[in-house]
Amino acid sequence: MIVEAGQLALTFAFALSVLLAIVPLYGSFVANQRLLLLAKPLALGQFVFCLLAMLALIYAFRSSDFTVINVAQNSSSTLPWYYQITASFGSHEGSMLLWVLMLAGWTALVAQYSKALPLLLQGRILAILGIILAGFIAFSLFMSNPFERSLPFYPVEGRDLNPLLQDFGMILHPPTLYMGYVGFAVAFAFAIAALMSGRFDSIWARWVRPWALAAWLFLTLGIMLGSWWAYNELGWGGWWFWDPVENASFMPWLAGTALIHSLAVTEKRGTFKSWTVLLALAAFALSLVGAFLVRSGVLVSVHSFATDPGRGMYLLVFLLLVVGGSLLLYGRRMHSVRSQARYQLFSREMLLWGNNIFLLTACLIVFLGTLFPLFHKELGLGSISIGEPFFNQMFYYLTIPFALMLGLAPWVRWKQQQLAPLIKPFSLLALAALTLALGVMASMQTVQANLALMGLLLGAWVGISALAEVTLRIRQFGSVGKGITKLNASHYGMTLAHIGFAVLVVGVAMTKTYTVERDVRMQAGDTAHVAGYDFTLVEVYELNGANFGGQAAELDVRKDGRYLTHLHAEKRFYRIQRTIMTESAVHARLSRDLYVSLGEELPGNAWAMRIQVKPFVRWIWLGGLLMSFGALLALADKRYRRKTSGQPTEPANA
Amino acid sequence: MRKVLFYVPLVLFLALALFLLSGLFSDPRERASAALDTALPDFALADLMQPQHIWTPEQLRGEAFLLNVWGTWCPTCNAELGYLTELRSQGVKIVGLYYELPRDPAFDAPFDLAVLQQDVTQKLAQHGNPYQFNILDLQRSLALDLGVSGAPETFIIDANGVVRAHHIGDINPQVWRTKLAPLYQQWSQP
Repeated sequence: MIVEAGQLALTFAFALSVLLAIVPLYGSFVANQRLLLLAKPLALGQFVFCLLAMLALIYAFRSSDFTVINVAQNSSSTLPWYYQITASFGSHEGSMLLWVLMLAGWTALVAQYSKALPLLLQGRILAILGIILAGFIAFSLFMSNPFERSLPFYPVEGRDLNPLLQDFGMILHPPTLYMGYVGFAVAFAFAIAALMSGRFDSIWARWVRPWALAAWLFLTLGIMLGSWWAYNELGWGGWWFWDPVENASFMPWLAGTALIHSLAVTEKRGTFKSWTVLLALAAFALSLVGAFLVRSGVLVSVHSFATDPGRGMYLLVFLLLVVGGSLLLYGRRMHSVRSQARYQLFSREMLLWGNNIFLLTACLIVFLGTLFPLFHKELGLGSISIGEPFFNQMFYYLTIPFALMLGLAPWVRWKQQQLAPLIKPFSLLALAALTLALGVMASMQTVQANLALMGLLLGAWVGISALAEVTLRIRQFGSVGKGITKLNASHYGMTLAHIGFAVLVVGVAMTKTYTVERDVRMQAGDTAHVAGYDFTLVEVYELNGANFGGQAAELDVRKDGRYLTHLHAEKRFYRIQRTIMTESAVHARLSRDLYVSLGEELPGNAWAMRIQVKPFVRWIWLGGLLMSFGALLALADKRYRRKTSGQPTEPANA
Repeated sequence: MRKVLFYVPLVLFLALALFLLSGLFSDPRERASAALDTALPDFALADLMQPQHIWTPEQLRGEAFLLNVWGTWCPTCNAELGYLTELRSQGVKIVGLYYELPRDPAFDAPFDLAVLQQDVTQKLAQHGNPYQFNILDLQRSLALDLGVSGAPETFIIDANGVVRAHHIGDINPQVWRTKLAPLYQQWSQP
């Protein structure tokens, strides 16, 4: 009954989204204010119905209603209650409903918080979101219905949730990631609405900025959580695999990062308009392409969903209409938009332009690396695969100039910068970075590794430069106490995000260089020495969980004879899906992780163990977190909440 | 000129869409072996049961046959032994390429031919023996040259020693009828 109500709610949501797509748009062309005013209630209404549909699906999972195919295939009665809830978006069908709900949520938020916008623009933005919503709800309803029943023949027990997805990280990862993906739909809708009206001033940019920042924040968090999840759950200590599905989330992130920087230029200086609009279109287009790649089976990936050419076809047609249509509009309208402002070769505009170029190059590399196997095959040249070394090398070379520029850019003025005043502070910065990098290297007792040195150097450069710059700005207000409060939140946000990037670079370089990994054979009582740590296997015993069995190993870790910590690694056997999962034992410190995963049982009461010591691996996720917090701080900036009446406000310095 | 520039994103996107469309209708996991339509790679490998006999491609010429990659460690291979034996009784010539798993010196016992022979004899007695003989690919070098990604896989080799077809996965009555039988017929014509 509840399941049917969910189906009905989704149908209502579809009807409302179709109305939302048509009515305000029509109203905007015939200048009918009443039709435009309908946009807000329609947007809020469809959100309520999407929410009801999702709740109905969660109910079906919680009550283990195995007459629903989706429940039978992705849950079981022995599954713990919290995983029963997350199982509701663990499958293709369920995750599509989650996607729809997130999109509906963003639409409702735009409807709620766009009072400052002119009615015409508001109506158009919501209508465009309505079009996208209608497309996705229709896909959910007609191509991949999460509520479909298998009556009269249904199983008495479900097939259980994929054990890979039974992890805390998995509870948070998909919703956060989807919030990011579909969040870019808002910036997309703003861009299309602006293309329709031909108005791209700094006020428009100021409206878009918080939405783009919010989407970017969620995407950053989502990617970071995914990486953390893979590290804990896949049992071999990796944190990024350049898998097509990961790349599908990384591409919109790169485009989104370029977008928030380009938006800054459009807001402050009124230039880069065609860039900004193109990036707003691209960020969402890449999210859609990503959804297509994951769900159509075009590429081989470890975590793509079960494939179905019908679904792929639908998504491709949708992609063609939405992205093709918007790019056509871009081609027809954008060439008439001119930028007024002029700037010199050495100016912040140029450096941010460089930022865009590098981020887009990175995006293009990921794009080509991901899709090259497909191109190659479809051109009849045979099968190839592109792996980690390609991406790693490309990103190694890209990061160096990118980070150098990043340290420089916040110091440089808009319009024009004289070189001379910067020489002294920058020599000091470079010296400080070099000292710090070499100091850390010396404490690691090896100076041979150039990747680590490069990473430390760049990290120190970006980090020190960001800190020094924010100190300088604070001093410019006169007293320090006054400066700290006067400097606006988005400036702190930028500084924090840049430091986050520095931390990330250091983390990647150090982990890549100094990770020590050993595969050992151990019996109870044996001790393995890895990178100065002594791992002693205390015992291995049988596990008995709710829906899994298996073995657990207890280890004691000592360093220089002193007891350090206790580790608990598991190897679970999930009974219903008959799969084996490793739950790695991790002892985390800011400077290093101790990582142990339990392997196969060997003859003679022994066990294969993989032991790793990974310096600075936490820094990778810490960097991601700092970037997200940076975005959050920037969002808190007062100027996004000020009622804008039409005239440009304060001369900006951020 | 400036006007045209703004259509570049659209053109690039349409080109991409074309690839995605054609990608929808092909299986990314399907891979053609690079050895297809070329002569069998050169090898000199011992017979599994009579290790003093060394097999080379020249000795395999003269008659079309199936080269079946298998191992006793592979459950699917064991499952298809029965049907393959049936095919042998219908006159299909099948040669086994025994795929020995790599050994980890730290964890595994050293390779022992006598143990393996015993293992194989027992498995074949249990499920049926479809093989004229078995070639032991201890270092997996021939399997590598043929582009084997796992077991079971089967190649059709014609009378001139040219690799004509490559099948990944097991052979069951349906696969044989719809895919392999026509190919075998075609390439075993004198």
